[in-house]
Amino acid sequence: MSSRWFRFLIVIAIGIAAGLYYGWVIDPVEFVDATPGMLSADYKTDYVLMVSESFHADQDLVLAVSRLADLGNAPPSELVQEAIDSGKAHDYASQDLELMQALANALSNQPAGSETSGP
Amino acid sequence: MKEKRGSWYLLTGLVIGVILGLVYAWFLRPVEYTDSSPASLSSNYKDKYRTLIAAAYLANGDLVRAKARLSLLGDSDIYTTLAQQAQRALADGSSPQEARALGMLSVALGQGGGPGQSTAESASAQPAQILTAAPQRSPSPSAQIGLAVAATSVASTPSLETQTLTVSLAAPSTLVLTVTPTVTSQDAITPTLQPTSGPTATPTPAPSLTPTRTPTFAPLPTRTTTPTPGAPFVLDKRETICDQNLGEAQIQVETFDDQGQPVPGVEIVVTWEGGEEHFYTGLKPELGMGYADFTLTPGVSYNLRLAEGGQPITDLTAPECALSGGERYWGAWRLTFVQP
Repeated sequence: MSSRWFRFLIVIAIGIAAGLYYGWVIDPVEFVDATPGMLSADYKTDYVLMVSESFHADQDLVLAVSRLADLGNAPPSELVQEAIDSGKAHDYASQDLELMQALANALSNQPAGSETSGP
Repeated sequence: MKEKRGSWYLLTGLVIGVILGLVYAWFLRPVEYTDSSPASLSSNYKDKYRTLIAAAYLANGDLVRAKARLSLLGDSDIYTTLAQQAQRALADGSSPQEARALGMLSVALGQGGGPGQSTAESASAQPAQILTAAPQRSPSPSAQIGLAVAATSVASTPSLETQTLTVSLAAPSTLVLTVTPTVTSQDAITPTLQPTSGPTATPTPAPSLTPTRTPTFAPLPTRTTTPTPGAPFVLDKRETICDQNLGEAQIQVETFDDQGQPVPGVEIVVTWEGGEEHFYTGLKPELGMGYADFTLTPGVSYNLRLAEGGQPITDLTAPECALSGGERYWGAWRLTFVQP
């Protein structure tokens, strides 16, 4: 009897392993509707750079903040600082880093409490 | 008495195990995508991403970078997708600035030029300028798309006039762009590549994601002034189109170069008593890269000319067409311009 139970548990374990392999490797949950917050760090950095480039031209801080809000719930200044750090780590051009720094400066000059609010 | 039982219990156990495994893999702890690429964004966020790319392009005039960024979205046809989004933005009318940015980038892609400051141009203004590339995954062949990241300088100093772009929107279906002229006629500028004086891009294999620099110096595309400078467009054909499917009176414009190839980005000016609108060819790529149309109000007389000059076409009024049964409907003017 104990041998029978043992084999029963063994095949259950085999089944679990097969199920995990199928569910994680062969046919994992497909994530097709990602948000910018799910982008990898380097894409996020480029995203922030784009926001910075646009902000440099239009000086529309509200629009910049609303765009940064798509990257997640973190405060915009934090997101920009992370992007700056990532940009430095990846040898971004100095002019690009300056653009991001300009946005960071603008965000830090905002009145307290208004940073996280979008339009 | 011993009951003889088969091995079905093993199959039962296997099935139970598989079910438990799948429940865990799909529901309790599914694969987490934390390092997504822009290609996996939802369509809504892809639209936002394109808009941001276009806004950044308007700010920096770097078409190479804009193209590299657009390629990250995985669209099969970047130009068409962008043009269609520009049209949607125009029809929506909620954000003229975004519509303008999308339209300008779309036109620039069609032309292969920029709004006044291409990479080559900026490189000429600031020699040995180091450009940062959009992020790319390695080792993707597409990572070479304009990516760059090289120190560039321009062998010949280009004499490009800065374009001034002033845009307003007047009609929900028409991008109105007033552009004060274009690039001066010149020969193609071929940027030459020199090693960067910054940190050396080493060809060490990146773990999962490459840094923004690639070890390969991708040559920037040769910049040519487009629409093709030279002879101005002349009206080749003026015909009435009777097509019930149009549903409205239109002026349809098509532009072709001297090789018979459609020319996008040609600015067209339509005027009427008390009004003026500007629009471009190429914003409806599904109808042709050199195509543009304008909706006419019946009873109003319009004049049309190409912004770069040429003979104006006057007294364009909504043409009437008739079915065999006598039923009447509005047709369209088809104006074909060519460069001789």
